[in-house]
Formats: sequence, C-alpha cells, structure tokens
Amino acid sequence: MTERPADELRDAAEHAGTGPAAEGPADPETGSGAVPGGNGGEALESRGSRGDEDGGDLRAEGTLRPRRSYLAGVVLRTFGRAGAVVGLAWLGVIAVFAVFGPWLASSHPYLWKVRTEDGSAAVSSPLVEHLGPADVTLLVLTLLVLPGLLVWRRASLGRRLGVLLLAAVVVGVSAWWFVQPPATVVYDRYRAAERAGQVEWVLRPPIPFSPSDRQRDRPEAKNLAPSSTHWMGTTVDGEDLASRMIHASRIALAVGFIATGIAVVIGVLLGGLMGYFSGWIDLLGMRLLEIFEAIPQLYLLLTIVAFIQRGPYMLYLMMVIIGLTSWTGYARFTRAEFLRLRRLDYITAARASGLPLGSILLRHMLPNGIAPVLVSASFGVASAILLEAFLSFLGLGLVDEPSWGQMLSQAVGAGGGFVWWIALYPGLAIFLTVFSYNLIGESLRDAIDPYTQKKAG
Amino acid sequence: MLSYILRRLLLMVPTLLGITAVVFFVMALSPGGVGGNLLNSEGEVESAQAQALREYYDRRYGLDQPKAVQYLRWLNRVSPIGFVTEASAEGETLGGFGFKAPDLGESFSKGRPVLDLYGEALPITLLLNAITTPLAYLVAIWTGTYAARYRGKAFDVVSGSGLMALWSVPTIWAGVLLIGFFANAQYPGLHWFPTGGLSSTDAGSMAFLPRWDDAGFARGWLLDRVWHLVLPVVCMTYGSFAVLSKLMRSAVLDNINADFVRTAKAKGLSGRVVLWRHAFRNSLLPLITVAAGLIPSLLAGSLIVEKIFSIPGMGQLMIEAIYARDRELVLAGTLLGGLISLVCILIADLCYVVADPRVSYD
Amino acid sequence: MHQPLLQIEDLSVSFPGAGGRRTQAVDGVNLSVYPGQTVAVVGESGSGKSVSAMSILQLIPTPPGRYDRGRIQWRGGQADGKAAAQTGPGGGDAGRDGGGGAVDLLGRSEAEMRAVRGNQIAMIFQEPMTSLNPVYTIGMQIMEAVRLHRPVRRAEAEAIATAALRDVGIADPSSRMKEYPHQLSGGMRQRVMIAMALACQPELLLADEPTTALDVTIQAQILELLRQLQREKGMAMLLITHDLGVVAENADVVAVMFAGRVVELANVRELFQQPMHPYTRGLLKSMPVLGRRVDRLDTVMDGATIPEDFPAGYRVLPHDPTLPPPTRYGGPDAALHEISPQHWVLCTAENDPARATATPPRLAYLRDPASAASTS
Repeated sequence: MTERPADELRDAAEHAGTGPAAEGPADPETGSGAVPGGNGGEALESRGSRGDEDGGDLRAEGTLRPRRSYLAGVVLRTFGRAGAVVGLAWLGVIAVFAVFGPWLASSHPYLWKVRTEDGSAAVSSPLVEHLGPADVTLLVLTLLVLPGLLVWRRASLGRRLGVLLLAAVVVGVSAWWFVQPPATVVYDRYRAAERAGQVEWVLRPPIPFSPSDRQRDRPEAKNLAPSSTHWMGTTVDGEDLASRMIHASRIALAVGFIATGIAVVIGVLLGGLMGYFSGWIDLLGMRLLEIFEAIPQLYLLLTIVAFIQRGPYMLYLMMVIIGLTSWTGYARFTRAEFLRLRRLDYITAARASGLPLGSILLRHMLPNGIAPVLVSASFGVASAILLEAFLSFLGLGLVDEPSWGQMLSQAVGAGGGFVWWIALYPGLAIFLTVFSYNLIGESLRDAIDPYTQKKAG
Repeated sequence: MLSYILRRLLLMVPTLLGITAVVFFVMALSPGGVGGNLLNSEGEVESAQAQALREYYDRRYGLDQPKAVQYLRWLNRVSPIGFVTEASAEGETLGGFGFKAPDLGESFSKGRPVLDLYGEALPITLLLNAITTPLAYLVAIWTGTYAARYRGKAFDVVSGSGLMALWSVPTIWAGVLLIGFFANAQYPGLHWFPTGGLSSTDAGSMAFLPRWDDAGFARGWLLDRVWHLVLPVVCMTYGSFAVLSKLMRSAVLDNINADFVRTAKAKGLSGRVVLWRHAFRNSLLPLITVAAGLIPSLLAGSLIVEKIFSIPGMGQLMIEAIYARDRELVLAGTLLGGLISLVCILIADLCYVVADPRVSYD
Repeated sequence: MHQPLLQIEDLSVSFPGAGGRRTQAVDGVNLSVYPGQTVAVVGESGSGKSVSAMSILQLIPTPPGRYDRGRIQWRGGQADGKAAAQTGPGGGDAGRDGGGGAVDLLGRSEAEMRAVRGNQIAMIFQEPMTSLNPVYTIGMQIMEAVRLHRPVRRAEAEAIATAALRDVGIADPSSRMKEYPHQLSGGMRQRVMIAMALACQPELLLADEPTTALDVTIQAQILELLRQLQREKGMAMLLITHDLGVVAENADVVAVMFAGRVVELANVRELFQQPMHPYTRGLLKSMPVLGRRVDRLDTVMDGATIPEDFPAGYRVLPHDPTLPPPTRYGGPDAALHEISPQHWVLCTAENDPARATATPPRLAYLRDPASAASTS
C-alpha cells in the first residue's frame, strides 16, 4: 500500500459503502450483485482471512487501514467500470431466466381448477408437479441458501463459497432422489381441457408455452413470425421461440461456468505444479501443453463429441469435454506466474520456515498468481458458451433441449428458406452473453494492470 | 539458424505423435467404436454384406487387435520410416525396415484414398486462410495505429467498444445472417451473393478473366471465384481483425511513449516518420507473437465457415469424417491440422527473429 | 559584443495535476548559454530541470503539458535564413543585449522546430538502454539524422556517421555501424547517442543526465568525452544533472533549481565558494567529502542555513513545506535578485524598491561570458 493515510481512510470509507456489492460477481451462483448493504465495519470484517490476521496488529496501533484483500480490490476496481456494469446487468437478466425459467415460460399453469369426467372440480398446480430436480435445486439455492449466506457476514468469502458449493451438492443429490416429475408430459391437455370447457379458471405463466411444447394440437403454429401470442415467433416444429430462449439461458450459463471451472482447475493445478517444481515436470508438462495447443480445439472437441454415445447426460458430458480441451491457457498463465513467484523472497522465507508444500502453494502462491487466471477465465466462459453453440449448431451437441446454437441452426432450413426471427434472437442472445463476459474480462484485465490503474487513479 | 530449424522440426515428431495418440484413443475407446456408423447405417440387423465388410476392415486395419497395436500399426503406415507392409486378404504382413512412402490409408466412408481427399480439400482451406490472414492483419494494423494516434478521440472510442462487440459476434450468427440477408431469394433486393460453394456450376466453361462481348458482360472464372469468396472471407476475417486491432492499438500506445521515440523526435524527424518508422515497427512484434496462436483458431474458424457456406474444404471434410466416424479421415485430418499449426508456429517464430534483432536462435 | 546563444526568459510549463489544478513544473525560469559555454542545471528529481531542457526543443507533449509563459531566444543557426527573418518582436528591450538574429523557439511551428532539432540543438538522454530503437542498426539511426538535415547522399552520410562514431571513441566504427543497440554495452550506447547528437554539428547540446544510468568508471569516461568534444567543436552545452561532482568538474555556470524555480545562478567557482541560498547550501553540505569522517551525512534540509553575510536589504527564507509548492522557498514574492555581481539568488528585496527594479528579476541571466570562461 503506497497510498497516503488520508487516502486510505477515504478508501476505507468508500469501501465500507460499496463493499457488499463487490461480492456478487465473485460469487458465481448469484449472477447479479444485488445484495442488501450493511454497515461498514461488518463489511470490513468479511474480507479475506489474510487481511484479518494483520488487521489486529494495526488496530492495536490505532491506525485504520482498509483490510481488503488484493483480489477484493481487483473485483472492486473491475466493477467500477461502465463496461463491466453493463455486462453484469445482462448476465443478471440471464441468471434470472436461468433460475426462474420454468416460472416464466411453461405450458403448465401455475394453478387451475378443472372439472374431471365425473363432474368433480379440483384445484391443482401442474407447474409445481412438473418441476424437475434441476429446477428445484436452483430454486432452493437461490431463495434459501444464498440469502442466508449473504446475511452471514462473519464468514470469509472463501468459506461462504464452500458452504454454497456443499449446499448445491446436498440439495442437488436429494432433489435427484426425491423430485420425480411425470415421465411423459402432454402439453396439449391444458389447451384441450380449455377448449372442452372443463377449466373453471386458470393462472398461467407470462409465456404459456413450454420450450419443447410442439403444439401438436395447433398445426398452424409452425414457423410463425413474432406476434402477440408468440413474442419471438415459433420454430419449424411449432415450439415457442421466446420460451426456448429463456430456458436455453440456463444451459448457456451452466456450460460457461462448469466447463470453465473444470478447465481452470486442471490448468491451475498443472500450471502450478509445472511452475513450482520446474525441471522435468515442467518439461513434460510443456510437451503436453504443446500437444493440446497444436490440435485446433474445435477438431478435438468435434472428434470426442462425435465418438461418444449420446444420451440424456449429453449436456454434462459436453461441459466436461469443453473443460478438458480448454485448460492450456490457464496452465500457461499459472506456470508463468508461479515461475515468477517462486523466485520472490517471501516464498523462500515460507520454505525456509518449514511450511508444508500445500500451504506454500495454496496459501502463499495461489492468491497472488490467480489474477491473470481470473482474467482469462472470464474470456474463457465466453469461449465455452461459443463452443457449446458451435457444437449444437453443427448438430453434435444438444438436440432436443433448448440451446441457442441449436436454435440458430434451424434458421436456414434444408430448403434454403431463411427464418429471420430464428436467426436473430438466439444469435443476439449468444452475442450479448459473450459480449458481457468479454467486457467483464477486459475491465478485470485493466483492473489488475498496474499501468492502466495508475492512469485511471 | 539451420540447426535451430532442424531441432524444431525434430521436436514436432513427439508432438505429432501425442496429437494423433490423443485423437486415436478417444476414438478407439468410445463406445460406438471406429467405423461404427458405417455399419449402423446398414440397419440394425447386419446383412451378410455388412458382415463381410466388417471382417474385411477388421483384417485390413487390424480392428480386432488390441488398441495399442492398432495405433502402432497406423503409425507405421503413416510414417515415412518404418516397416514395409503388404496388405493381403489375410491382413497385413510386415516386411523389411527402411524408408517407404507414407500411406494415409483409405477412407471407410468414401472409399477413396485419404491423401486424394485431403489433396482436394486442403488447398481450398489454405486459400481461404491465405486471403483472410493478411487481410485481417492489414486492416487491424491500420485501424489499431490510427486509434492509438488519435487516442481518446472519437475514432478511438468508437473503434474501441466497436471492436470488442465485433469480437463477440459469434461466427455462426454472422454466417447465418449474411447468408440469410445477402444470399437469399426471399430478399431479391439484397440477393447479391451466392449461397455457398466456391464457384458457379458453369464455372468450368468460363473464361479466366472477365470480358465484355456481344452477349454482354461475362464475369469469368476469377471474378466468379471472388464473388463466391466475399461472404466467407468477411465471416472469417472480422473476429481476428478485432483482436489484432486492439492488440496493435495498445502496442503502438506503449511504443509511442518509449524513450527511443523521444530520441527520434529530438533528431528532428516529423511526427509521421516517428510514428511509422520508429513506433510502428516495434509495435508489430506482439502481432507476430500472437500469429502463432491465431493459426489453430483460424483453422477452427474456417471449419465453421466452410460448413455454413458449404465450401468443400478441409473443415467440411473433417466434419463429414466425424459424422461418419471415419477413423482414417479423422486421424489424417488431425495430423494435417496439427502439422499445419506447428509449421505456422515455427514460421511465426522465425518471422520474429527477422523482425526483432534482439532475438536469435543460434 | 558577446551575445548569449540561448536565452530562456521567464519560462513556465505546467501539467494537469490532482483535483483539476495544474502543477507548475517550471515556474519562471531564466537561463542563458553563451557559445562554447557549459551551463549546468542542478536539482533534485522533479525540480523541473528536464522539463526546462525538453521545452527548448518543444519535446513536451502538449497536451497534457502547456507552455504558460516565457520566451526561448535562440541565436544559433545563422545559415538558416528563416532564423534571421524571424527576429523576436522585442528587439529593443532594454534588458537584452541587442536583438540581432534571435528567434523565439516557443513561437515556432512544429515544422520549423524540426529544422532546429538534431540540427542546431541536439539532445542526449538519461537512459541509453532504451533511448535507441532496438530494431534498427546504430548506423541507420545515426544516418537517419544526418540525411534529414544535410543534403547528402547515402555514401556521404555513411562517412559522416562513421566519423562521428570514431569521434566518440568507438573502435572499428564501420563494423559497429551494422550492429544493433542490444549488442552494445551501456557506455557504448551512450557514446552512440552522443555520436548521433553530434553528427550534424549542433551549436548547442542538451545533455539530460547523460551519465546517471552508467556505472562510475564509465561516467568519468563519458564526461571526459563530452568535455573534449565540446572543446573541439566549439559547442555550447546545457548539462542537466543532480551530481554536484559532475558540476564542479564540467560546468562554467551553475543554475540550482528547486520546485520549478531557479534558486541560485552563478559561475561555478562563486557558487561552490559562496553559496548564498539555503537550498544550495544544504545541497553542498549533503555532499560527502573525501577524508572527512562523519556518522551520518547531512540531508539537504539539514544543511539549509541562511548565510550570516547575506547582503542587507534582501531577505531569504528557509524552506517551508507547509506553503504551496511555488512559494515554499522565499515566500510568494521572492524573485531572482543579483545580490552580488553575476550572482543571482531567489530572495525578496526588502524596503528598497529601487534595488529591486535596478535589474529586473525576470531578466536574470549572466551578462558576461568572460567571467564564466575564466573558471574553465
């Protein structure tokens, strides 16, 4: 910290005010950074553990210093930029779609009262009955776990992320066991019941069509241009495009995060080991890197995807495969950073004082070497989304599930016909999402670059 | 220098081995297996003919042997040095060790030698990239330098955010929109370009150059080819152009404040000479560095563009091969793609030596 | 009649600073350089000495920099017809030694300045490591300057460049011409910079800390080389440095700068024997002396004392860090006063307006080069 004391005080004050907002982006599950503001002291408490340790001594001396970790500072600077805010806003919209997709667009009514054959009327909620395990997991995490973690300010960011991850696994697995929606879904029955006059009243979602509702009862609904019924038109199969768009945002977000997460973990692990040990480990690792870098990634990806068995888990397989083929950049960055860090005195000191290897690598080197990885990870999320779109566009990815790339591939039909709304909306969604991640990545890069930082300050 | 190039060429061998090994085992270990589609397409119940075909392939390529042996056999066939093999109805027999003609095998799905197939497809992909890469570089160098020169002015600000947006436009979207609006009979006013392919069907009978005769204007083979290439080239260029332009801008900005530029000004050189002779040349160095990484992504980009515009290039062939699970085609394609990437990286490194006297590989 | 070659009058340059205010990097500097003379500008980092030198060639990027006031009168380049034609408007000004053939460099256009840069006035910089373009041979970089300013063919330019390299003591110059900067050591690169600067026979050389980045033995060699070349070519030199040892050995006249202002201006012997301004005294006291044992060296502020024999009628104030930067020394109305002949100090004239106006402080520059010559 080279700032003067007065600046530090001001920074601390600013930080206290804006602190909580900075945590949204660091937390991948929230997507949006809307968090209730708290009082400044608590916000400062919640900084990384390193800050807490040296903070005690300083307090004893009566000086006030922003106990903000390096990463928190970077995140704060990043989201002080207009581009990053715009990007974050769009991702927030996508995140809302991802979590609340089934509630926004579904053929199943929220609630309805329907008369059965024997004349008795019953109120039921088909939508809730048809919620899948993933829908329930996301809903529980977003509505129950996440607010709890945001209120729980005593814990460090890392600990809260860990709890979130744990909760995601627990909720996900139990939802898998206990939530069993009907295996066969007949979307037509709601419209059929209405036509037959059996429905007394019905409460429908804003877009009353499910993504894979092909409207078999309405053959005229194929390839419709946007109208008041179908806001973005329909596909050649008669599915509502707006509904598919909304449901596809979950896939795009998930592919981006999980694939990049896998790639980052592999890359940082390999790169860190290569950088720290150098020598023959580095030599071998670099050959491996070169091999993966020399194969055009799309070739490798296509080969793997084409040769695996398609099945219900295609989406998850795709995430893993994209992750497995895009770790090289992260490994390169981490290796370079670790090579630089291991020569620094404080690492020598840590080694001399007999700290275990894991502690040196994870506690002392990783937090200082992670910033460039974060930058390329945010560009990486963009490219993972693009890759999924490419694969689905080529018909090698998702087929029935809604995906922006798969929708885009329907824009130019076999007969050469061109459906402008199918070309426009999914493409625009891919573009905006990729653009958002790139904007955030660029702001992040500017935020960690000491040169631009100096100019901005 | 020569010894350096030789060393680099030798180092390519283990890398290429690695590349093919990765792809081979991905294919071999997959549940469907090699050539699976070929047989599945015959129907669920295998006909006697399909059965015979499978047996033939099993013998011919040793598909019934362990995976590692299969890979080694493939390697031996492809390598210019190795055991001379003789294929017969009973399978392959190994002959003497020595130099031999590399054999890329025969495509399962197309029934033609792989070498011939790639011999037709590769020049087309290379043509696309040979047009795209210099174009992207030229435009990027120009805009990047101007953005740096007029830093903070309208041109810089607009091009800055514009390029970021351009970079984010997915190629598939751009391709679909270009085809949809500019190559579509639905919009006669905008139907300026052909939907796909590299030449019109009657291109074979065209004269090479355009000319005017009694029948009016005849565009000729060359112009026809250019006409077909406009949309694919646009589609391939814009992404790399955006990246390069941003890179060029920041490189020029770095150099414009360098000490040696101040020296050049103190000599009395004009602003134009200082920019183009002193700041500019140094700014090209990072562009050469990224060229190495750009080539594999350009190959991937041409795959998408070839698919969208139905251009019979290497990417298109690769996609067909992958759909058909054609082991020989996929392996050869990966080998070629990897080889092209490695050679391009080597060329980029050599260019760097020429451009930057501080670097030498002796 | 002696006329200064270069005469900086009341030069002020500012840069945008924090909070929308402009920081005055150079604030009313007066300086003169006579033909063949070496003028040293001494001061700590950020005192405005480099900015003053860069302003002479208009190398300050504008914006962000801005020339607020002042004139830079240049009498060199008599062969240049334009120079004579553009005599400064204030030719009859009482303070100046006639106006014959002076041009105001600050008033010249960029195109006109280019004819001066590297040709009549050359400059060498502090960082020889980065001041040469890494991608061109040194021969090309020297010839570039020669061919720009002299109507010579390539072969002649090559001969001039080779000669220039030989002049700066580079062995086997014709083969060195083909080498790149990274193949040379730091000292050699600075020699190349000097060769490049002198290839066009400038009348004035601006040397901006030419030896700071070099190690001590090389420093001595480079300074000796500069001295020798200056004698041979009869060139004037403005030497910017923070090293008082360099000043004592090389300069005829010294200007001490602090916070954008010249605080003391005198010939070198006078300044070293009778420093009058507290800052100068502090600066001299902070210099270690060979053979004298001290526990700790004085800092500049430790030694900043007011001399007891300061002339009556003038008041000089010690450094006051609480005041805003331009007035930290001597208060707001301090100006350069000639407190003894040819010795100017930044101070306030008390109760004696006549004395204050006798020699207008804004025209504070040495009038007589003879006094300077006597010391060299």
